[in-house]
Amino acid sequence: MTDSGPVLVLQDAAFRHPGGAGVTGLRLSVDPGQAVAVIGPNGAGKSTLLRGILGLVPLVEGSMRVGGAEHAADGMIGFLPQSSDLDPDFPISLEQVVMQGRYRRLGFLRWPGRRDRELVRGALETVGLVERARTRFGELSGGQRQRGMLARALASEPALLLLDEPFNGLDQVNRDALIDTIRTLKARGVAIIVSTHDLELARRVCDSVLLVNGSQIGCGPVDDVLTLENIQECFEGVEVEIDEHTVVVPGHEGH
Amino acid sequence: MSLGDMLFGAFALPFMGRALLVLVVLSVVAGIVGVLVNLRGLEFISDGLTHAVFPGLAIGLAVGGTAGLVPGAAIAALIGAVLLTLFVRAGVTSDAAVAVVLTATFSVGVLVVSRSDDYSGELEALLFGRVLTIAPEDVVPLLVVSLIAAVAVGATLKQQVFRAFDPHGSRAAGDRGLALDLVLNASIALVVVAGASTVGTLLVLALLIVPGASARLATVRLWWLFPVAAAVGAVSAWLGLAVGFGVSVGAGIDLPAGSTVVAVFVVVYALMLGARLVRDRMARRAPARPETTRLADVPGER
Repeated sequence: MTDSGPVLVLQDAAFRHPGGAGVTGLRLSVDPGQAVAVIGPNGAGKSTLLRGILGLVPLVEGSMRVGGAEHAADGMIGFLPQSSDLDPDFPISLEQVVMQGRYRRLGFLRWPGRRDRELVRGALETVGLVERARTRFGELSGGQRQRGMLARALASEPALLLLDEPFNGLDQVNRDALIDTIRTLKARGVAIIVSTHDLELARRVCDSVLLVNGSQIGCGPVDDVLTLENIQECFEGVEVEIDEHTVVVPGHEGH
Repeated sequence: MSLGDMLFGAFALPFMGRALLVLVVLSVVAGIVGVLVNLRGLEFISDGLTHAVFPGLAIGLAVGGTAGLVPGAAIAALIGAVLLTLFVRAGVTSDAAVAVVLTATFSVGVLVVSRSDDYSGELEALLFGRVLTIAPEDVVPLLVVSLIAAVAVGATLKQQVFRAFDPHGSRAAGDRGLALDLVLNASIALVVVAGASTVGTLLVLALLIVPGASARLATVRLWWLFPVAAAVGAVSAWLGLAVGFGVSVGAGIDLPAGSTVVAVFVVVYALMLGARLVRDRMARRAPARPETTRLADVPGER
């Protein structure tokens, strides 16, 4: 990957699960330090897009370049899944969960060293949880677990960070902490793609928006893409949160 | 017979020394593998594997005598491990599917054994083991089988724990779930192979399950689970053999060695369970720690 080149380029790309559901017509370029919000209703293909970038859903049309290559290098992409269904009784501490972010770079036989421990501590500092490092993961609050999973994604030193609905179920304290973290990462040059329903959050933290509903509806700077017409086309008849108010977007005339 | 003779002197006898060596190594490996079985909730699939090994043992015995036991069991176990791994990944697995495999393979084994002249004797040996009659030439193959399982699990341990905790996250990080599952199930199968030749196919499950479950009672520290389970396995195996020898020789009450070993495993588990219950009860009575109070008061913490 060149330092100045885009971290991710999608050209007329389509990702489709073997079962048939997918998302098509994707044209996107993400530079280092840029944050892109992927917005669309439930079932629009937001998670499919993120999993496609990870290589977990097949690319069936078009092309994808990650860091200039067809496949991402080990540890290049960090991923924060939607609230994970994890066993709260699993005997594992927060710092051990975050250390899992280093495993891809360590491989099978190497065990974590000093540098890995420093990176884990740095990731915990970034998300504001360093004082809970030794706490059992299942004893953390929902928001803290989400921030812990973000720290795990950060520990892999990703060039590209994928966040799948990271604000779902978070209270205001944890939402603000997450937004601060995203801003810090952008300043460090990490490219971020965040899927969300929340248009207001997209405005606060992202440089550009990708609107999808099965296929790409628009992509570009936030104010250019989040037009009433695009939102109506994307969210026809669906509840949308705009400026902290929830509204139902009416259907397009004659649509 | 003195306590010292029972605990230490008995193992100067060659057959007891061989039994101790094989059983302690096997129990340590089974304890480490068993922690992963516990964390992944694979107890019932492990039970299926113990039964899948049975026809391999029976066919191995019929074809090559006692020298055919380990190869026969190994082939059957690895086939069983691959099949069960594929069942799980194809989504066709369920308790019913494992139960079908379990009973079908077991019945095949019994049919093969029933063709032999010494039906009941051989069936008993396969079911309950022959730990005190391990031949000198069988020691190395049993140790090698155990150590292969230990190396396979040890080399993938970080990734196995990651997968046990968060299978989707592990996959997203680039781990290959099928390969990790095959390694773990094959390791379980190899422990079952070595265990089936020592404590028998019915009792080997205790070596896999009890130390891991005991370790979960003793600690919530992830990386302590493995040495604790290994230690529980090793000490239980040693005490089990010693008690069996002491009672049989000292008191004249003939105890089957494999069953005695497993009984000691269960007694150790019961003691650790009792200690855990007492500890939890005392912790509930103790006043809340200041840290807990302070954290509960932090705004925004749910």
